[in-house]
Amino acid sequence: MIKVIYNSDYKNLKITGHADYADYGKDIVCASVSSIISTSVNLAHEFNQDIKYTDDNSKIEIINNTNDENVKIVLENMINMLKDLERQYPKNIKISKGE
Amino acid sequence: MLFISLNIQRFAHVKAQGSTHNGRDSRGRRLGAKAADGQKINAGSIIYRQRGTKIYPGKNVGMGKDHTLFALITGVVKYERCGRSKKKVSVYEA
Repeated sequence: MIKVIYNSDYKNLKITGHADYADYGKDIVCASVSSIISTSVNLAHEFNQDIKYTDDNSKIEIINNTNDENVKIVLENMINMLKDLERQYPKNIKISKGE
Repeated sequence: MLFISLNIQRFAHVKAQGSTHNGRDSRGRRLGAKAADGQKINAGSIIYRQRGTKIYPGKNVGMGKDHTLFALITGVVKYERCGRSKKKVSVYEA
């Protein structure tokens, strides 16, 4: 199961785990999550290059040290899309708010 | 130039490629002849191990319940024809 933890002002987001929906190459939940995150992070970086992104294979971390409203909107939209995905695949992705 | 590249299987579980359910085999049963034609043999010695009756028991040769052929007397082993297409093994006194 993919776990997404974000804080209320979208300053820090952590994504861990595997979707475990299907075998490698056929996992549509994994493909969706990857696409949503890549698109959002690349767009946020276009607005403000101070956004930080780390991926050590076990965990992805997005750190938003900017006060850029556009970046916040993009990350908020990313979480909303992931929540929509969670509604459809509750066994494969879980979104939770942390501090 | 993208800030991060798109790997759509980033959150997929990498499974072992094509694990099979085969790969098991029993050990060889060492079947076949244990005494050659013309060989001297003692009573009770095994002549031939087999599944079913590839070779039939002839004179002075007994057959166990697993179709193993053994000598009933001490003598010389003789492999012979049995009818048109079968074989048998006998033991003749030396």
